Amino acid sequence: MSRVIEVPDVLDHKGFEALVTELNRVTESDAARVLFNAKHVRWTSPYGLIGLLAAGRVARERTGLAPSIEAPDNRDVRKYWERMDFWQVASEVYDVEPVPARVHGVSDALLELTPIRSHHDVHAVVDRVRERASTILLNKLHYPRPSVIQFSVLLSEVCQNIIEHAEADGWVCAQTYNYRERLGRDVVMLAVMDVGIGFEGSLSAEHSRRHGERWSAGMALERALLHGESRHRDPGRGQGLQAIRRQVGRWEGELAIRSGDAMIASPTQDWGDLSAMRTGLEFFPGAQILVVMPARLENE
Amino acid sequence: MANQGEALRMPEIAVASLYQRNLVTRHTGRAVRLSIEGLVGELGTTSLTILDFGDVAVIDFSCADEVVAKLVLRAVDEQADDTERFYLFRGVRQHHVDPMDSALRRRGLAAAAQGPGGEPFLIGEVDPAASRLWLAVCEAGHAKLDELAPELGMDPRDCGRLLDRMCARRLLRRAGQAYHSLFYTFAEAERSGKGRVPDDREGASPSGRE
Repeated sequence: MSRVIEVPDVLDHKGFEALVTELNRVTESDAARVLFNAKHVRWTSPYGLIGLLAAGRVARERTGLAPSIEAPDNRDVRKYWERMDFWQVASEVYDVEPVPARVHGVSDALLELTPIRSHHDVHAVVDRVRERASTILLNKLHYPRPSVIQFSVLLSEVCQNIIEHAEADGWVCAQTYNYRERLGRDVVMLAVMDVGIGFEGSLSAEHSRRHGERWSAGMALERALLHGESRHRDPGRGQGLQAIRRQVGRWEGELAIRSGDAMIASPTQDWGDLSAMRTGLEFFPGAQILVVMPARLENE
Repeated sequence: MANQGEALRMPEIAVASLYQRNLVTRHTGRAVRLSIEGLVGELGTTSLTILDFGDVAVIDFSCADEVVAKLVLRAVDEQADDTERFYLFRGVRQHHVDPMDSALRRRGLAAAAQGPGGEPFLIGEVDPAASRLWLAVCEAGHAKLDELAPELGMDPRDCGRLLDRMCARRLLRRAGQAYHSLFYTFAEAERSGKGRVPDDREGASPSGRE
């Protein structure tokens, strides 16, 4: 008999929090098989879609059994999941039949859901994204030409964060859509997640003693994102996240990182709903990164 | 002008094409750096290596740290054992500068670079007076302290200190009383035909040697 996790109907960064709460509730009592019921999902963001994979992976690790998943009833959502290659990657996490790889046509996906396991995957992602990034960033977001390379650098650094610090595999995806209700403009949303040791675990050996009892996931995020500290003593390390933060700031976008029971956001924007720091969230392993890049206004 | 003693100290020259179009990930950067260090290790104790960024589309911050900052760091650190390693970064475009500059600054380093049009500039941590002085040496090719200080209206002691510091940071090369720009050093070596073989861009190695 499976224990059921109801997937929120709006599966974005807020929906992910609800999903994590459900996941922790369902998996705390026993090791029964888990069913993720996504039938009622009406909307999914890239962050929510990867979050569903990450939650499935955690359920699998906690129960020792591959969870099952009910596909959404909503046709548009189903199509979106297909377009983003969700089912190809989901077969490594959920108890679902493997789906053959698709040939991708014209799409609003900047980058389909892609596993990140090694530096080869990072190279492949950077290679793959260039042409589409050029079309989307220049034509749809009206960014200047250098932004295509800057986006590749950003993508490389966030993906490397998985390889260098997570001690686990992860996933990345990016998509453009119209952020009507908040901004009335197109945005690119990039999501990267892993379920590894998280920022607190990664930085702990080098930094926890200095901060004593105040050491926490929130502090680890703050040290990494705002102060450029890393698990290594080498001063050359830890600059990637700071560079991403600077670049996202230049694009007047938002960057948020969730890890453990905390989430930090910097920069944030008036049109967004991210808080500079949230602590006391439901625990979720690894790191979950969200980048939102808004289109430039015509007169900017 | 270089005398016979200076000619004996003329660096051996290597030109390394970076081969990778996308210089991304720390892992790749490490492999590229080791390959360049292998090349440099085959040269004499005084060497100038030109790293050509002409074919590099993307360099990220991690790779810039592994390739650019660590090569420069080792060149600066090696001074105790009588070796002189110089690096010159050629074909550096605007989008390369941000990661390279950031990586060098994190370690308090600087490097000599040349844009696609041949314009010289410094990347990394350099104070404005040193930068002006460096450009003056680049413009002259080589110059002595007593020529530079009055030209820039500087106190000779301050000027000398800055010049020697830039030599220690491997941004200039000292030959006797004269300070040589790395561009001049390269041009001189080309003229004298010292240690040049054709650039092997088609080769499997990440670096070709001239």
